[in-house]
Amino acid sequence: MTHIAEASPVQSHDNTVPAGPTAKATARAVNVTYGNTRAVKNVDLDIFTDEVTALIGPSGCGKSTFLRCFNRMNDTIENARVSGDIRIDGEDIYGATINVVQLRARVGMVFQKPNPFPKSIYNNVAYGPRIHGLAAPGPDLDQVVEVSLQKAGLWDEVKDRLDQPGTTLSGGQQQRLCIARAIAVNPEVILMDEPCSALDPIATGKVEELIEELRGRFAIMIVTHSMQQAARVSQKTAFFNQGELIEYGPTADVFTKPKHEQTKDYIMGRYG
Amino acid sequence: MPSLPKHTLKAYDAELDELRALVSQMGGLAQSLLEDAIAALLLRDSKRATQLIAADKAIDTLEIEIERLAVQTIALRAPMADDLREIIGALKISAILERIGDYAKNIAKRATVLAEMDQFQHMAILPEMSRLASGMIKDTLDAFVERDADKAAAVRDRDPQVDSLYNALFRELLTYMMENQRAITPSTHLLFIAKNIERIGDHATNAAEVVYFSATGNALEATREKKDRTAFATLDDWQSK
Repeated sequence: MTHIAEASPVQSHDNTVPAGPTAKATARAVNVTYGNTRAVKNVDLDIFTDEVTALIGPSGCGKSTFLRCFNRMNDTIENARVSGDIRIDGEDIYGATINVVQLRARVGMVFQKPNPFPKSIYNNVAYGPRIHGLAAPGPDLDQVVEVSLQKAGLWDEVKDRLDQPGTTLSGGQQQRLCIARAIAVNPEVILMDEPCSALDPIATGKVEELIEELRGRFAIMIVTHSMQQAARVSQKTAFFNQGELIEYGPTADVFTKPKHEQTKDYIMGRYG
Repeated sequence: MPSLPKHTLKAYDAELDELRALVSQMGGLAQSLLEDAIAALLLRDSKRATQLIAADKAIDTLEIEIERLAVQTIALRAPMADDLREIIGALKISAILERIGDYAKNIAKRATVLAEMDQFQHMAILPEMSRLASGMIKDTLDAFVERDADKAAAVRDRDPQVDSLYNALFRELLTYMMENQRAITPSTHLLFIAKNIERIGDHATNAAEVVYFSATGNALEATREKKDRTAFATLDDWQSK
């Protein structure tokens, strides 16, 4: 467990043990298998509310699979099996008492391709708060929608056309709409799986600026193939290769003097 | 040092190779300019010294070329880790070599003046200082090309030798000047020449520190031995000896 920050004591698999003093979420000895293939091998990682953690690594390295463990998205894949210990605020999210629908409200997710519902802009954002009973229809819900769109930096662009379909927005606006939708249910953790790979540089810049603004309110984990993006938006970087967490540390260190040869070769674009 | 695997993009490797080659070439020119200027001085070859004054231009041109290529590579390749440190290293070393070139050029200028003067005191220490400083430049550049941190650290450890020779020469020249007023002008030129070489040694040391950082990502420990004591010298120090 050498790549874990010292502040976070190693967790046993006993439900009574609290999480480390500052970690929002902890993963210990996490393994994910698809049938006979081990996609994630014995990974330990902590994520913190005041930091963005970037997961980088070559395609198939297990970073997205690992990310999806945090809101149990892997449950939806038939032959995927997750083992190990994942906690949010010390609570085992794979525990018997966990309501997965509630969990996914606490742990929001933004995907590679913007996927607004085929509903109005308003209803895209209002959907979550409504089904989770977080706001009564009417002025309360209007307020939640407005605040969420403001936090997502989209309000000024859409306030005059909230009744139009979300799909009429540009790609970058759709992605920010999806972020507004995720934050509307007051999540604690936001997972982003290559959120900018379908966006142009300007839209990417807006999403990155948004990530920076959201940092501190949510623990954010982002999977990205863009080394530059990881360098720009994150405070901690985790490099995965072939299912293993190879290196984890402050982003500035990982990109200027990585400790492991594999990390170094990957970020420099060198392959033997 | 283990060599790094090649980049997936071959053109990127080619650019880094070119950058290293340019730095190496620039170092070679600065080194020869120093050696040739000292040779011209000792041979009292005013014509050769005049040619050398113009030769410094080639060094300046290379610095501009290195700057252009480094900026281009940073802009187009977004270098990371070792690659980034190496490119920044190339930029810093080229600026240092340009300065070394200026010092060597200044030696050539003084050589043209000294060649016209009465036979000045033969200075056995000068070529020795120059040989040491020139060796430091060469080994720094080799360490850069080979990414050899140990070699760079060893260069820095040699600077005190240059400083010691400079102290000795300083004392010797001061003695001549006290004994004979007519020796003051040539001795002052010689003193500046020696000071130039001493500064070249310092610059080579700085370049070696850059190479060390470029190779390892860590700064070389700050404690380095300084032997140049002439900044604190008074006339009394020498008269009492």
